[in-house]
Amino acid sequence: MTKRTEIFRLSNGMTVIGEPMDSVGSVAFDFFLPAGVSVIPQGLCGVSMVIKDWIFRGAGENSSRKLTDKLDSLGLHRGEKVDSKHIIVGAALEAGNITEALNLYADIILRPRLEADQFDFSKQLALAELEGLNDDPRQKTSLKLREHFYPGPLGRSPLGIKNELESLTAEKTAELIGEYFDISRAIFSIAGKYDFEKICTQIETLFGSEKTKSKSPVFETDYTPGYAYEKYDGAQVHIGLMCPTVGPEHESYYDVRVAVAILSGGMSARLFTEVREKRGLCYAIGAGYKCIKEMAGVSCYAGTTPEKAQETYDVIIAEFGRLVAGISEEELARAKAGLKSALVMQSESSSARSINAGNDYHILGRVRSLDEIKEQIENVTIESVMKFLRENPFEKFTVVTIGSKEIKI
Amino acid sequence: MKFKQKTLDNGLTIIGEVNASAVSASVGFFTRTGSRDEMPEVSGVSHFLEHMLFKGTDNLAALEVNEAFDKIGAQFNAFTSWENTVYYAAVLPEYLADVTTLWAKLMRPRLGDDDFNMEKNVIKEEIAMYKDTPQFEVLDQCFSLHFGDHPCGNSVLGTNESIDALTSGQMRDYFNRRYSPGNITVALAGNFEFEKICDLLASACGDWKPQQTDRVRDYFAGTRKKECVVKENLVREHICLISPSVSYQDERVFAASLFGMIVGDDTGSRMFWELVDTAIAETASLQCEAMDGVGVFYSYIRTSPGAADKVMGIVEKIFTDVIKNGVSEDELQKAKNKMLSNITIKNEVPMGRLIELGFNWVYMDKYVAVAEEVKKIKAVTTADVAEIAREFSLMGYSRYSIGPKSR
Repeated sequence: MTKRTEIFRLSNGMTVIGEPMDSVGSVAFDFFLPAGVSVIPQGLCGVSMVIKDWIFRGAGENSSRKLTDKLDSLGLHRGEKVDSKHIIVGAALEAGNITEALNLYADIILRPRLEADQFDFSKQLALAELEGLNDDPRQKTSLKLREHFYPGPLGRSPLGIKNELESLTAEKTAELIGEYFDISRAIFSIAGKYDFEKICTQIETLFGSEKTKSKSPVFETDYTPGYAYEKYDGAQVHIGLMCPTVGPEHESYYDVRVAVAILSGGMSARLFTEVREKRGLCYAIGAGYKCIKEMAGVSCYAGTTPEKAQETYDVIIAEFGRLVAGISEEELARAKAGLKSALVMQSESSSARSINAGNDYHILGRVRSLDEIKEQIENVTIESVMKFLRENPFEKFTVVTIGSKEIKI
Repeated sequence: MKFKQKTLDNGLTIIGEVNASAVSASVGFFTRTGSRDEMPEVSGVSHFLEHMLFKGTDNLAALEVNEAFDKIGAQFNAFTSWENTVYYAAVLPEYLADVTTLWAKLMRPRLGDDDFNMEKNVIKEEIAMYKDTPQFEVLDQCFSLHFGDHPCGNSVLGTNESIDALTSGQMRDYFNRRYSPGNITVALAGNFEFEKICDLLASACGDWKPQQTDRVRDYFAGTRKKECVVKENLVREHICLISPSVSYQDERVFAASLFGMIVGDDTGSRMFWELVDTAIAETASLQCEAMDGVGVFYSYIRTSPGAADKVMGIVEKIFTDVIKNGVSEDELQKAKNKMLSNITIKNEVPMGRLIELGFNWVYMDKYVAVAEEVKKIKAVTTADVAEIAREFSLMGYSRYSIGPKSR
């Protein structure tokens, strides 16, 4: 049996989630701050990237240099990320340093210095990062796919849009931080070795007096499939495609996960076998389940030389379509084994546990236990997968290709 | 944690670190071979051979191999570098025997012509993929530039031409020479019974015939050559610098790694403050790569093409200063804290521990317990680091850069 998730709600609404783990010496934590790329007003795309850098350039009584020195002295393994709804700031570290680390993070989140000269550096770095995307066509494909698959603000690229980034000012950005770092809607997750009561008391002391500021925005979720091509003189054509499916809250969620694993779970899965093993079309080929709170999809990436691009695309589409013709007992067993084993192995990493707990809570309003997920995977049958696929086949793809040659869709 | 070791009569070494509270177990076949062990006419064969091991044996077809791994939910893969080819898998403890048996079988591959010819396509796609990944390409090319005629300058992937020209006979010959039991270490980490796995390996691998294997291990400080290549489709300047460092066998390896962190870690290092914090470059890092008999410090910097000269001016100033003045107590302490915390986090997952365990044995023929490693890191002094800075001058670098226009 795995240990139970612990949840505590501060009086102002902020949620604290704990995932206790046996026999580890580390602890990992994440603050989910509701200032992601989709929730910021239009015309400011990319500001979240600037914010996640700027808030670390001095906070509370510490200058930029002093703050980084202190974080480094605690041996923090830092991670900052912008997703659709949140800026996520977190770290993994040796358990003994957690109290001091949380004190510093309270400064970063509540009392960043936001100095104007430092803002210019943050903005320049965000612009450079965006520019650099041109030299990474694979990542560019994945961001463009997201942009075309999700409607409106949900599809926005975390890296931003050039002219919108350029027009940002320190004043406007500081104003947005004040407005969108809404602690009452923030989630704090922690996993590994810690004392939950002590953590809750500290979080309450540090963040408890922050009041509610805003309401969660509501998004349109209309989906339109389509094809977007971008010319790029690289060695490969980069192909991304994605079709809609059900979210984690849906009763057929585990049927989808199994179906995707049959398509692309391991090396014996269908895409790898048909595209790479039998035809030698690609080195990188794979599909995966993707979701945000409002929408979910199955996405697929393949990189191949221009003369093989059309055949690669055709074989991938045929394999997505062929699922509905039936799956075997062996395929089902392998898909389940892969999903369960990945789950158990991920459970050994405090960083993975913390981020998963926070995401689960954001999307489902609760955290699924490892035992629950294992049981649900176990319950999937050929019949349940086939019934789901007949009613909700993988079709109506959004397709993006970047390369020297366009393909026929 | 308990360490165990056994060597079979044919020279195959088995090592294991048992952690009875882990929920998984992992195994790796560490083969001491890579592109530095290749002659020019078989360039890319080590990496290609790594792919071919997945194609099965006389009694096991490729699709059956993939199914066998997936049936037990193994997280498995392999990688090839300049000097190692490592095959590994992590599984739930009850499947460790199965996955170890499977790898043992695959280590005597069929190497059939049909599979060989089909897989050439995949290898060439992999070469193409890395051509579209400048941060990889610049490092690969800079290694070749830095090492020149030294075997460590050999490309891991090879080229389309070398792969086209390679025959399955040449690959079989290379396999016979390099995959000798004495050249392979089987490492295990996590929750498992050592004796049981040893018995299983003795019966699966006991009949492998030993061969004499060797390697050129001369130290080489590098060519110090500079090359700047134009690639029209890029918009950023990608710069790689490589200078000499200690070998894996050198006891100063921790001092060199800490030195690398002080100069070029992702956050809080000298390069971070001078280049990234000031937004002159979006990425600037430096680290120590200790290898068999040789070693390098390598940097990767990405910036705008117009700023490349300015960046190099700052980098040279950082290098010159640290060579002349060494590092401060405070810098060293911060680097130690970061390194110790990384070790804790990495070693909590058996897969993370496996790689460290395997490489320590491959390079030094010895087991280094985590506690011992921690002790050695804590013992490094600023004088030790200053000695590294003086002896292995960062200014003795080779530079390879690619970008939209030449400077």
